[in-house]
Amino acid sequence: MFTAAAESFLRQAREIQEEELRRFTARVSALLQGPEAGPEAVDGLQRLHLSVAATKYPRKLDGKFVEQLQTVLCSPKSPEQIQVLCAAILREMSPCNDLVLSCDEIQDTKLLSLVSSVLLAQGSRGEVAAVGQRVVQGLERRLPEGQSARFLLPVLANVISLSPGSLTEEQTNVVSKKLADWLRYASIQQGTAQPSGGFFSSPRTKQPAPITEVDGAVATDFFTVLSVAQHYTQDQWLNVQAFSMLRNWLLCYGGKELDTLNPGASAGGDSSGTPLVPAPATPGRLLPPRERLRDKAFEYCQRLVEQSTRRPLKKEDGDLQKACLIEAVTIMDIICKQDSSYVCRAVSCLKILHSRICGDATYARALLPIAQFFLSHSKQAAVDSDAIYKHLFSDIPALLFHNPSLAFEFVQFCKDNSQLFTDSSSIFRQSFPNLFKFLAWNSPALISEFVDLLPFLLDPGTAIEIFHLLLDLPCLTAALDIQLRCDTEASLELLPEYGVPELIRAAALPASEKAGAEPAGKPATCLEAFHHPLYRSMFQYLLRSRAAPEDAPDSLVPLRQLLGSLAGSPRVVQCAETVPVLLELFFRVVAEFADGSLINQLVVLLLQRSDQLYEIPAFKEDVYRVLGSNLAMLCGLRPALVVELSTEILEFSGAVSNIQSKEAIFTHLAWAVGEYLSVSHDKRCTVEQITRFFETLEAVLFEITQLRPQASTPSCAPRAISVLMATLTKLAARSQDLIPRVSMFLSKMRTFVQSPAVTSVYCEEDLEEILIRATELMNLLKMPSVAQFVFTPPVASTRFQKEVNDSLPLALRMVTQLLEPAAGSMPV
Amino acid sequence: MGSTRLEILGPAGPLGPCSPAEVSLSLDEVRVLNTSVPLFSSRQVASQCQLLQASLGRPSSPQLPQLPDEPVSLQDAPGGVFQMPPGDPFPERVTVVWLSVLALAFALVCEPQENLSLAEITLRRLAPRLLLSLRLVGPGADVLLRPDAADGLLDRLLPHGQMLFLNERFLQAMDRELGLKVSR
Repeated sequence: MFTAAAESFLRQAREIQEEELRRFTARVSALLQGPEAGPEAVDGLQRLHLSVAATKYPRKLDGKFVEQLQTVLCSPKSPEQIQVLCAAILREMSPCNDLVLSCDEIQDTKLLSLVSSVLLAQGSRGEVAAVGQRVVQGLERRLPEGQSARFLLPVLANVISLSPGSLTEEQTNVVSKKLADWLRYASIQQGTAQPSGGFFSSPRTKQPAPITEVDGAVATDFFTVLSVAQHYTQDQWLNVQAFSMLRNWLLCYGGKELDTLNPGASAGGDSSGTPLVPAPATPGRLLPPRERLRDKAFEYCQRLVEQSTRRPLKKEDGDLQKACLIEAVTIMDIICKQDSSYVCRAVSCLKILHSRICGDATYARALLPIAQFFLSHSKQAAVDSDAIYKHLFSDIPALLFHNPSLAFEFVQFCKDNSQLFTDSSSIFRQSFPNLFKFLAWNSPALISEFVDLLPFLLDPGTAIEIFHLLLDLPCLTAALDIQLRCDTEASLELLPEYGVPELIRAAALPASEKAGAEPAGKPATCLEAFHHPLYRSMFQYLLRSRAAPEDAPDSLVPLRQLLGSLAGSPRVVQCAETVPVLLELFFRVVAEFADGSLINQLVVLLLQRSDQLYEIPAFKEDVYRVLGSNLAMLCGLRPALVVELSTEILEFSGAVSNIQSKEAIFTHLAWAVGEYLSVSHDKRCTVEQITRFFETLEAVLFEITQLRPQASTPSCAPRAISVLMATLTKLAARSQDLIPRVSMFLSKMRTFVQSPAVTSVYCEEDLEEILIRATELMNLLKMPSVAQFVFTPPVASTRFQKEVNDSLPLALRMVTQLLEPAAGSMPV
Repeated sequence: MGSTRLEILGPAGPLGPCSPAEVSLSLDEVRVLNTSVPLFSSRQVASQCQLLQASLGRPSSPQLPQLPDEPVSLQDAPGGVFQMPPGDPFPERVTVVWLSVLALAFALVCEPQENLSLAEITLRRLAPRLLLSLRLVGPGADVLLRPDAADGLLDRLLPHGQMLFLNERFLQAMDRELGLKVSR
């Protein structure tokens, strides 16, 4: 996507030969040595940077030149742009063996930051520690005139995130003390403008004005990131940086113990637990640095919560207010984990906050850290926070499923707290239909998150409902689309009269309360149908926010048909593509806990639902594939189900149409019948049952091989024909009266494959395979006792899932060879 | 928090500066991270972006519109967030916040616990400034040849990968320092 000029530059940079690069480097080197490095040197360095950055292969630059880059970088005489470019090239070359750079002697804080960027990019723990030492030193001492710690603090933030063990206990105390001061005691007067030096500008500096709040009111308390000024002082900049790095700092060093300067130390280790130091006590006593920082940080967060009530003059500051609120609540949670004496104050502050923002959808993302806080501390504080969780899990997904960031954070929250879903009666577990709305609407971004989450939602109580939900997921996407459009229409009507909170409540109302007069007759559009009595209960069920297995309507078929017009919508199609993945996972997880009754239920449902899928051809095809192979898996887990569910299985496998429309399921089912309908798997299996199955499948095979060739009907999958022949043979081997019938049938296959109607629809290789298989099976049946042995697999098989006929071919071929040692016509 | 990194992605791959690597990696691993990783995540962002555009029923425009002087509106710019599992390709789990402007995408690679609201704000501030000072939609090749301009911006808005809670006035002060005239 580059312009032609850029493409050309990129190509040149990638293709430059070593010799040419060497000559170019020499020219840049000469330019840098000149008395004043000008635009030409800048241009040279920029091009050099590109040639190093544009390729994934390491570029070798001359060692002398690399040395020169470092010298120029550190020289106070070099122009800033040149320094920045030298640093960029050195960073791009990292890890670099020729580095002699050190930040020990650098006094200028801006330059120190630049040099640090090169050193930290090297990926060496030693360098990180050295930079950390130097920066803390810089913060500790009084900086020379004109130098600001503002450039050092981000370096420190980077150091602790790369290697928290780089600082000693003493050093963390120094920084904690500084951070507390910057947070709490930044100037509450505005800074002054840099004198412009204009000819007419007055030399007299104006009296500094007090800072204001985001709504324009004069600030009544200390400075925070939400304080507004025309110009800012250095300590106000430091206040911003201190708050920006505060969370990570507390996670690294706020807890009671940390192995500082220990190479094995890891970031943000578990720092929960009861504190050794008692609660911040009398105001007069000076607290140790870590406790003091905690205290000031807590006050800061409380002030931010208070400041978030103000209506900002600038819209962008509204977004920042919300981000600050999220940060403040998260920090309060961390502080309370590190010192439980803060819990009471935090609880009362956050309860008030929650009741203030819970009706305002624009604050929805802040509800997550609040809920997280109460999950961590409500037990200790002995407060009932069920209302908070209930609101979060029942109202928010239903209203805001279409907000991608919230959806992501919500699902992350569920993943982080997956233990909540183990209690099946809990608010969390019951709300899974709501969680699926996030997936239905945002499937590409959330599919991998749901792969992690789904196992926690599944148990014997939810499996059936989740099975339906997964199969109806694209349908849910379509229904959400309709809901969203209806809500938009409704809110447009409501807008003039109501404020925002009313709007949210109105959107959450059941459709019945919104729709006034009942429209008569069939609805013309999906939007009309949303409020129509014919469809309302189906919409409500599909869009339910809590598990409701008993409320399921008899059938959602009319709704699926209604929503058929949305089946081509890209969002629906994207969602449909995620279903096979989740369905596979579903069966894998369910197989681990399912008992006989659940397995039977699932098999019956599977056969039923295969007729009731949302009409997207590719989706149906994929789902059949997954259902087919997992049907075989379930039968393998519980072979007795073939006998127990014989009515349902006979009904399904007796329908020729199922071979054409649902070949994957049909073939696996026919295979399972041949494999498991046997006395060795279930003592209840009778000869009559075997005969009934035999006759049903025989009729099907007859219809597709003996009748069909005359009519011009589409072909059936050769795999289905092959499996049907094998299943009939297996059943005959177990009830030997049937052997003559199947042998006769198999012998007719030669005529089948040769009929002109057949050869025109099937390909030659397939027909040949069918014939080979038929011949092999016939041969096998000539030795009934061998056949019985071959077709009775060991019952104690541990394999859950078998490929159709995976054990057969070898045995068949062996028998064929025994019987027809000179069979030249049969490829073996 | 200190290791948030910005990537500017065009369909041809990453263009942006990539900052610090993880400690405790071998030299070769650092090199691989610095070069292959942006490529890898850029593909993920590109595909997420295309999927989102498709779900909104918009065709993803393959051509860069030539509007160098028009202010770019971020009002409806599509964006999103997704996670990459550990080792695929970053050693630790990361969250990618992205924003698509015209035919480019900007992505912040964050640690999982970071404040995503702040990441979105940061990205929305960086994008127009990068477009402006690198003339990303212009006919030239500044995007490739002005790493100093990109670094200057990043050093203010995302110093050493640290996201900042900047209100509008702070941002204006920063723009003044950089000599940027961003339309508001």
